[in-house]
Amino acid sequence: MIEELAALAQWHNLRFLWQGLAVTLQISVLTIISSFVLGTILGIMRYSGHWLLGRLAAVYVEGFRASPLILLILLFRFTTPLKPVNSGTLAMSLFTAAIVAEVVRGGLNSVDKGQWEAARSQGFSWVQILRYVVLPQALRKMIPPLVGQFITVVKDTSYVWVTGVEELTGKGVIILGQYGSAVQFFAIFGTIGLVYYLLCWGLQRFGLFQERRMSWLTM
Amino acid sequence: MDRFAAFKWQALFMDWRIFLEGLGRTASTAGLALLLSLALGVLFGMLATSPYRSGRSVNRLYVSLIQNTPLVTQIFFLFYALPHLKIMIPTSVVGVLGLGFYHGAYMSEVVRAGIQAIHRGQLEAALSQGFTYVQAMRYVILPQAAEVVLPPMTNQAVALIKNSSILAMISGGDLMFQADSWSASTGYYGPAYLTVWLIYFALCFPLTQLAKRWENKAARSRSGEVKVA
Amino acid sequence: MKRILGFMLSMAVLMSVLAGCGGAQSKSGDSGSEGSKALPAQVQKIKDRGVLKVGVKVDVPKFGYKDAAKNTHEGMEIDLAKRLAKEIFGDENKIELVGVNAKTRGPALDNGEIDLVIATFTITEERKKSWNFSDPYFVDNVGFLVKEDSGIKSWKDLNGKKIGVAQSASTKKALTEQAAKDGISVEFQEFATYPEIKAALDAGRVDAFSVDQSILWGYKDDKNEFLPEKFAPQEYGIASKKDNTELAQFVNDLLDSMEKSGDLDKLFEKWGLK
Repeated sequence: MIEELAALAQWHNLRFLWQGLAVTLQISVLTIISSFVLGTILGIMRYSGHWLLGRLAAVYVEGFRASPLILLILLFRFTTPLKPVNSGTLAMSLFTAAIVAEVVRGGLNSVDKGQWEAARSQGFSWVQILRYVVLPQALRKMIPPLVGQFITVVKDTSYVWVTGVEELTGKGVIILGQYGSAVQFFAIFGTIGLVYYLLCWGLQRFGLFQERRMSWLTM
Repeated sequence: MDRFAAFKWQALFMDWRIFLEGLGRTASTAGLALLLSLALGVLFGMLATSPYRSGRSVNRLYVSLIQNTPLVTQIFFLFYALPHLKIMIPTSVVGVLGLGFYHGAYMSEVVRAGIQAIHRGQLEAALSQGFTYVQAMRYVILPQAAEVVLPPMTNQAVALIKNSSILAMISGGDLMFQADSWSASTGYYGPAYLTVWLIYFALCFPLTQLAKRWENKAARSRSGEVKVA
Repeated sequence: MKRILGFMLSMAVLMSVLAGCGGAQSKSGDSGSEGSKALPAQVQKIKDRGVLKVGVKVDVPKFGYKDAAKNTHEGMEIDLAKRLAKEIFGDENKIELVGVNAKTRGPALDNGEIDLVIATFTITEERKKSWNFSDPYFVDNVGFLVKEDSGIKSWKDLNGKKIGVAQSASTKKALTEQAAKDGISVEFQEFATYPEIKAALDAGRVDAFSVDQSILWGYKDDKNEFLPEKFAPQEYGIASKKDNTELAQFVNDLLDSMEKSGDLDKLFEKWGLK
């Protein structure tokens, strides 16, 4: 058993997994940033109730929300000339943006509509009300679901392995293919599981910290 | 538009049975997994709000372990690693168990939030009337919590249906797998993926609309209460 | 007014995303064509771009294998790709090798990510409808890897057992026909990548790992063994996008001349494939 573990715990295997982690992190960070930007825009479009923008956003959100992520990853892999890791990131970003849009809309809707009239009577413009009155209150409500979704992003990067992108899970499976014993299988799964756990747990803590830090916003 | 050439569509319609078979597997897997996740969700949701510390710890362990690791890793673990302990779960059951336990953790969070939304005084009142904790939950708290939890639960069901496509990664015979396998052997992936997307849309869209309607209803009744007060 | 601003912002994001998709297809103008021979237009286009993009395997020893420690590609298919680059550019290093697997190689041709696939790609009638194939440059057989302690000693012992095959490989079809001929019944499990089939074999999810023998060699270890039988000759061809007919012709001509000159045989000898 010790021998089997020693065979596994070699420098080149660890480096191999580390490379996978780097890919996982790259996809996660890019997806989180771009989906946050695009999702916020879409969410505001839908909230605005504008006859065209609202509908465009609705079509986008419902279309992406109703399709499995694996399907989007494969579809983008096969129909765009992008490198697999980039087409995977694009698919994840567009998918996550649809969910972020719903969170943003929900957050905005949770702010009492009466505040619009109050602020407007004070001479605020549409953008000013959104920026200084509604968004700050909505943001705090949005943080828990957003953090939950971003944790899901980190986990869902493992789907990109279907197109052969060697992220953390993929690297783990490739190592599985080279070693065959029970102990080695469990060691590999244990390692990968622990890395994901730490990533997600860290993100969760960060979210709680932000939520607390922002409590002044609603005071 | 070669990807969607007419002869490729024709080939797809010739093989419609394969896709129907996949849809059947997706429906049965998602259905059973949904039942399992609901059962686990109610059980662990009650544990989370129970007065017993050990119950709360068990819940915390379950939720954090499941929510902080990818579904893909969990499914791969059931599929590739457990057989080394002589635990050979059939592929279709791996799908039900994996999806059920994964979404059960999210369901339990929903149930917990629902229970906590009901005023604490009601539980105490019920307990003082001689109800046991389980009876108080069953007859007083859970029925009221149902309204709060229905929309997020429906959203979880949608997520579960979509995530059932993970079976494609373990040769599970579901809709995604059949589309993938068929397009891989013929090379006609254009029509296959488009068709499958339409089917998933037809499954998920009505559910998301239903959730939205319940959400709006709940929001209305809440704002109504405020006005009365 | 402000809503228009939001709209324009969202459009800008969408545009930049779309531009990212289209970028790789832009052509690098028609720069000087100083080559001695007149190349067909499609080949000239590649020459003008300055690099030949080839999809290769990264996990098949002797054919296409990526050495993780040295970070280099090697194998007879890599040498073929280099030879093509030499023919086009006069420099065998003007290639960009892209790792592909059974599932991604076809679509990667269609979307223009790569010009050619040289990746143990078996020629079939169905595939010929989607892509151009050269004449075969190698013939391999489908083999079987089973666990040593499984008690399976021949193909017929696989009656009623599960066989793990790769998605997009022609193995499943070939074996179904063979099984019907021999009056046995087998069940298939399909996986996207080879390591997954190997892991399934180790876990006992499948009783045999069956793909082209060249590929199986990469997964041979001290706990598994080959079955004596091998079936269904698989002819490997170099594939290109359906409308790249000139490029396909160019590739085929080179293969022809390599076969006549004995260069192809030398390649087989170099990699121990004869």
